[in-house]
Amino acid sequence: MENASQSPPRSQSSSPHAPEPLQFNGNGAEYFGIWIVNLLLTIVTLGIYSAWAKVRRLQYFYRHTELAGSSFDFHGSPVKIFIGRLIALAMLIAYNVSVRLQSRMTLVILLALAVVMPWLLRNSFRFRLYNTSWRGTRFHFRGDVGGSYRVFLLNGFLALITLYVMAPFMHQRLKLYQHANSWFGRTQCSFHARVGQFYAIYLLLLVAMLGFFFLMGVVGVGHTLVTLGQMQKQGGHIDGKAILRMLLILYGTFILIALVIGPIFQALITNLIWSNTRIGEHRIECKMPPLALMWITISNFILVIVTVGLFTPWAAVRLAKFRLECVRLLPASDLQEFEAAEPETIGAVGEEAATVFDFDISL
Amino acid sequence: MLHAQYFDGRSTRVHAVNLSTDGADLVVAGEGVDIRIPLADIKIDERLGRAPRRLRFNGGAFCEVRDLNALDALLSSIGHRDRWVDRLQRHVQFVLFSCVACALLALAAYRWVLPWAAAQGANRLPAAVVNALSQQTLNLLDGAILKPTKIAAERQEALLGKFRALRLPRGGNPDSLLLFRASPQLGANAFTLPNGNIILLDDLVTLLGDDQQIMAVLAHELGHVRGRDSLQLLLRSSAVGAFWTFYVGDISSLLAAAPAAVVQAKYSQDLEQQADDYAAALLLHNGMSPALLAAALEKLAKSKSGAGAGGYLSSHPSTDERMSHLRQFAARSTVQ
Repeated sequence: MENASQSPPRSQSSSPHAPEPLQFNGNGAEYFGIWIVNLLLTIVTLGIYSAWAKVRRLQYFYRHTELAGSSFDFHGSPVKIFIGRLIALAMLIAYNVSVRLQSRMTLVILLALAVVMPWLLRNSFRFRLYNTSWRGTRFHFRGDVGGSYRVFLLNGFLALITLYVMAPFMHQRLKLYQHANSWFGRTQCSFHARVGQFYAIYLLLLVAMLGFFFLMGVVGVGHTLVTLGQMQKQGGHIDGKAILRMLLILYGTFILIALVIGPIFQALITNLIWSNTRIGEHRIECKMPPLALMWITISNFILVIVTVGLFTPWAAVRLAKFRLECVRLLPASDLQEFEAAEPETIGAVGEEAATVFDFDISL
Repeated sequence: MLHAQYFDGRSTRVHAVNLSTDGADLVVAGEGVDIRIPLADIKIDERLGRAPRRLRFNGGAFCEVRDLNALDALLSSIGHRDRWVDRLQRHVQFVLFSCVACALLALAAYRWVLPWAAAQGANRLPAAVVNALSQQTLNLLDGAILKPTKIAAERQEALLGKFRALRLPRGGNPDSLLLFRASPQLGANAFTLPNGNIILLDDLVTLLGDDQQIMAVLAHELGHVRGRDSLQLLLRSSAVGAFWTFYVGDISSLLAAAPAAVVQAKYSQDLEQQADDYAAALLLHNGMSPALLAAALEKLAKSKSGAGAGGYLSSHPSTDERMSHLRQFAARSTVQ
């Protein structure tokens, strides 16, 4: 860990218009130390330290991510993350209890959660972006509350009543709301992916899922069901092994979908989203090879199981390095020209309020 | 001489600078920058792997330093010490110690804390919650694997009468409801709901035949009722699931679903033992022999519908051991 780069900053020498790839310099063994100490302190403090652990984890990943010779930084306060986690936990309990109990209160609680959720998610976006910086300039999220309710409640409702036919539309609107309302300092981002492009990828997902289910049905579940049916007819009791086999096949199908189709879909949609996001005039290019992501997901999954979880830090570093290094910034001009937002230009209910009311609810 | 990038906090402009110190101030000198900052006004970011470190000044300006060794030399010359968490995370022995400590703590929590917490939780959960939970479970089972009973009403009455007449070791009579159901899938079986009501399946009644032996099995179930065992089991597996999600959660939520079901069977053993002991005590208290339960277990073990998948014994491990334990109980009590 002592062979730190001795080279002077190269941003001055490189051409201002050359593509700038993201680089990730994290290292599994190094992160293992942080991860295991975080784990121990979290256990010893009965979970309270987990908020501080999250800050250290994010700082490790942000600070090892470099663009044009400078690294990113995370500034979030652990106390706010702790508060956010308490709120998220309370909501999770409220949700679970209300779903299990099914009394008159259930509808009230679910409605209350649905009403609060968009506001919380917007605050969470603000928290995450406001606490991310590059070269000392912070990102900002300026989406309004109304937009958040449209994106999460109204579109979510539309997706639900159309049996998710509108889910790709909802996804596009969510990303539009997120990315077009993001700022880097005084520079606003924009989002250009069209609804049709989302539908194309979702259609591919649908076809892949149907094909997969068809294949699994032919191979496994059908066979087991036939066996079960025969045994029922013969009046005998159901063979435990047959049930176990069927459960294994179902669980296996679930895992295979998540390991095979999941990463392919994820790579395609990530490429679409990031290649169509711009920071001012600067374009972003994301070329994540779907099969490579699938390979990393599968091998990480197996290694984490085989090592009883000890491989987790290496897996996280490996995945982060792969994902980040698929991204390049295509500068339209000199990257030295971004300006930080002046406090007074943000307005009274801007980032100052963000530091008071915002918290991170993501676990 | 220490190379660094200086940023003023107002724009992304990079200033290549050199850092040095004269003991009282940090001197930042280079492209368009020549400032001195009192050492006391500098906030030094902790070391995190090989990431560049930042020296933060008032007003959002900072220096980003990549040469970590040279920075360490400069920092130690001004008497700065890294934070304890930071030092621990780079200390190989401590990292190894953490691995062992985490494993031991997890095992200890699993072995002692979890059962204790589940027992506490099971006793403190409001009755309304427990009842709602039980009613829902029953509805779910009734729709799926439980059918109406075929046992005649008079037989049901007789069994219920005998069950209600059992005297509990601590005084009083059982107040659990006895729910008669049939189930081809579950075969000869009986189990308790979280609120203490007992589901008795037709196959068990017909297989055992003998009312005394049925009471012995019900006594065992009353042991589960007393310990609120089914509720404990539910709480234990939820807690294990939650911990597992936290442990590997950020890498794969898939793994999180698996283990709760796996550990459950293993878990039952200590609870089964306690329920057997309670049943033996209850039977003795009612002038009956614990050997009745042993005999019932033996019958179940010999019959296909009791020992097969889903049957009573498949969820109740190591029958031989339990039978001999119960018979020892019976033998001891006749000697007395």
